[in-house]
Amino acid sequence: MSEIAQPISHESDDPNWFKRAVFYEVLIRSFKDSSGDGVGDLRGLAERLDYLAWLGVDCLWLPPFFPSPLRDGGYDVSDYTDVAEDIGTIDDFKAFLDAAHNRGIRVIIDFVMNHTSDQHPWFQSSRTDPDGPYGDFYVWSDTDDLYQDARIIFVDTEASNWTWDPVRGQYFWHRFYSHQPDLNFDNPAVHEAMLDALAFWLDLGVDGFRLDAVPYLYERESTNGENLPETHAFLRKVRKFVDDGWPGRVLLAEANQWPADVVDYYGDFDTGGDECHMCFHFPVMPRIFMAVRRESRYPISEILSQTPDIPKNCHWGIFLRNHDELTLEMVTDEDRDYMWAEYAKDPRMKANIGIRRRLAPLLDNDVDQMELFTALLLSLPGSPVLYYGDEIGMGDNIWLGDRDGVRTPMQWTPDRNAGFSSATPGRLTLPVIMDPVFGYQAVNVEADLANTSSLLHWTRRMIQIRQQHPALGLGTFTDIGGSNPAVLSFLREFGDDAMLCVNNLSRFAQPVELDLRSFEGVRPIETLGGVEFPAIGELPYLLTLGGYGFYWFRLPKNPEASGP
Amino acid sequence: MTAEFDAQLLHYLSDQRWFAGKGGVSSIGGIVRLPWLTTADDEPRVRVELVTVITDDAPQVYQVPMAYYDTEPERMGHALIGTYEDPDFGRLVAYDALHDRIAIGTLVRGFVETDKSGGVTHSVLGPVQVDTDMPSVMLTGEQSNTSLVLGEDLLLKVFRTVVPGRNPDIEIHEALTRVDSDDIAALRGWITTKPVGGDEGYDLAMLQDFLRSASDGWEYARASVRDLLMEADLHADEVGGDFAAEAQRLGATVASLHDDLAGALETDTWTAPDLTRLADRLRGRLTQAVTAAPELAPYADALGSAYDALITLDTEVGVQRVHGDLHLGQTLRTIGGWVIIDFEGEPTKPLAERRAMDTPIRDVAGMLRSFDYAASSMVIPTEMSAQEHHRIDEWADRNRAAFLDGYAKMHGDDPRDHAVLLRAYEIDKAVYEVVYEKRNRPSWINIPLSAIERLAGA
Repeated sequence: MSEIAQPISHESDDPNWFKRAVFYEVLIRSFKDSSGDGVGDLRGLAERLDYLAWLGVDCLWLPPFFPSPLRDGGYDVSDYTDVAEDIGTIDDFKAFLDAAHNRGIRVIIDFVMNHTSDQHPWFQSSRTDPDGPYGDFYVWSDTDDLYQDARIIFVDTEASNWTWDPVRGQYFWHRFYSHQPDLNFDNPAVHEAMLDALAFWLDLGVDGFRLDAVPYLYERESTNGENLPETHAFLRKVRKFVDDGWPGRVLLAEANQWPADVVDYYGDFDTGGDECHMCFHFPVMPRIFMAVRRESRYPISEILSQTPDIPKNCHWGIFLRNHDELTLEMVTDEDRDYMWAEYAKDPRMKANIGIRRRLAPLLDNDVDQMELFTALLLSLPGSPVLYYGDEIGMGDNIWLGDRDGVRTPMQWTPDRNAGFSSATPGRLTLPVIMDPVFGYQAVNVEADLANTSSLLHWTRRMIQIRQQHPALGLGTFTDIGGSNPAVLSFLREFGDDAMLCVNNLSRFAQPVELDLRSFEGVRPIETLGGVEFPAIGELPYLLTLGGYGFYWFRLPKNPEASGP
Repeated sequence: MTAEFDAQLLHYLSDQRWFAGKGGVSSIGGIVRLPWLTTADDEPRVRVELVTVITDDAPQVYQVPMAYYDTEPERMGHALIGTYEDPDFGRLVAYDALHDRIAIGTLVRGFVETDKSGGVTHSVLGPVQVDTDMPSVMLTGEQSNTSLVLGEDLLLKVFRTVVPGRNPDIEIHEALTRVDSDDIAALRGWITTKPVGGDEGYDLAMLQDFLRSASDGWEYARASVRDLLMEADLHADEVGGDFAAEAQRLGATVASLHDDLAGALETDTWTAPDLTRLADRLRGRLTQAVTAAPELAPYADALGSAYDALITLDTEVGVQRVHGDLHLGQTLRTIGGWVIIDFEGEPTKPLAERRAMDTPIRDVAGMLRSFDYAASSMVIPTEMSAQEHHRIDEWADRNRAAFLDGYAKMHGDDPRDHAVLLRAYEIDKAVYEVVYEKRNRPSWINIPLSAIERLAGA
């Protein structure tokens, strides 16, 4: 077994730890309620760290838990350096963070730089005291004519990016909801305030930040207000600030743009990147769905071939689902209509420019497809970000408002409130899923733990294999095509570690012939079962796969060693 | 000895897919042995040989690159041709060199080395790097050529039936490569013989980019039909494997190819007398076809008047170099989009005819017929139910329309606005198909015949 690399070490001080990490997005309010008040909290999350460590998670991503009027799931922050009362205290956060680090789990937190809640004291001061210290913290204007080239993002709810404030008697700028005024980054005091807030959390020990909505920080006339040079300059300032004081911490950018534009958020190529360490790769996700529906590898192959190289100290983050709707901004109109038609048959499933469903209901609760999708997530280039509950195949509730349908409580047991909370069921902020297919009596962690053939156990096993193979985290990606357009095959290679991933995107059994001449003589070893396959010869290598089947093969470099 | 070798060679040739003289009586009419590509000490010794085979039809020249060994290497059994008594080296064992990795290295060495020998010339459009360490792989499924993948990214296409003069596949690939067309696999070089006897040199092979991500358009389209037929009650636009978006992109690719061809090579205009000659040609082919396939007779009058409409067409028609034999099997889907291959034309036709200008509508008609075939080919025609027939037609109509939409959008000129031409070319293609099926696959004759019925009624 000498060819298997050392498993990833949680205690590693490797500054590139994030390249091999498996991320897990968890909504604190929906994960575990320790106090019985119906709201998930930090102590509850800390109680469930053993579960997350067992699953093999390397890093948690916590969406905002700051004080907030909660009109946008906490992304409307009213205090950057505190914890929302219903979630816990700063001391609770410290205890949770220590407990996570003791288990080798890192923690990154969401940080919303673009805007605050309109309840933030800065905004209240800005509107009542235009000449005071916060008078210039937001983008005010006497008219609503400026920056007309900037598109409106939440087209369902907002008619303009400007809203009139009767108190100050001016319009304020907001790229998102009208209760989320944009901060004015032309004001150096705003920079200082942001860096102070980051330093607060870095000093507590967080391992990094997911930076929300970064493309929109600045606005300039006759531009679309996205990806402006000033925005990049500010991100370089943030990166230097973090690197100087807290090396090894990571910045993950949410920039919902085409990959060619997103790469700019990594910064300078030659120095290995001087802005964000990681960016989400948004277009790959809808294309995985499209490829499987079309039973064709081209939607995935195309977007990966169009993805530019990134600086050497940087990495993509990829995901299947998250707390937002399945974003369709990164597909063409024709593709978008198709996705809507296929996956959002009920119009309530559409939200903004996307679809509000969880993975399991999107895939008709088909375990074969869920496994294929997860295998792709764990093997395509980039660090995978799991969404809480998808590891047990949780469902959603499309009748809840906004995007709450995919934010329902984690289903731990078949007991009251799915084991999430001891509160009276009516007190829960969001109801647990109770439908006959995805209800908590059927779908829960306890049942999946007891059943070793469950999706949960399978996901854990796949994460283990991923961690044993540096190629899946650090390796190069080579699409090797093949005779059958329904089969996506690619190589991941890092040093001596070579992995061949073959995925049948069709519901039917498929053969595929692969050109593997550069591995002539090698006997591929299927990693889930350790079974040795016939040696690769001069001729194309023939494989057959069941419907939605896939293989992860290890290609040992030393063929003699694996012979009898 | 020579007679014995000739018999062995003929036996080898007649087993090859690319050998056209199957079935009839044939004999070796002569062998032109080009000078050795190897030195006296090399093993195997390699040279290109041009073998003339006499059959009932016209003589045909085949290219056989040969690898000669002193003894029989075991691994090469499948490529064994026979034993040959060489005037200089004595008894040698002859193999088809395209199955021998050492010999292949010898054949392509001239692309990278300046020392040219062996009576052949290697030309390149720019520096190339040929990886001869990695074993090459022979592509299967080809009818008239042998293609080898060299290294990771080059394809050597060896023409098996050769004629003196410039091969149109090289000519068109060169022209399109020079204008940086995205619609083809770029040409990197080619191999030509020096003049043989009184003739021009023969083009032997071309070296082009190997598109490793590619899959065959014909199989891809058929996978979509298969997907449709697996669903009992969904329409063509409702199944996951819907092909229309691909058909549309393919239409755009063909249009862009036509634009590039018009820009890079000669163009002309057909006026009334040319269209009259075209109608005469098509009528002549129809008359021959009706004799060969009497099933066409009931439609002959209607088809003929569709051709006559060309004569009264009061318009000028732009002509240019076209693909000439375009169908889904000549298309590849790659990561970067669709690519068109194989510009040889119909290899059995005379070179002048294969290089003749024509209207781009001819290629469009070929693709439309191909969608029809792809749809119908999933079910044995004689066992097709009325429901299957309806659903297959729905697939074909949807994808033909999508192809034309894509073509029109890219080209700025909708082929449907040239209805008389399009119909005439579609009929000509379908008539050819009826005769082909009559001779080769009688149970399939209903596929083109139902198209004939539709086109005659149009």
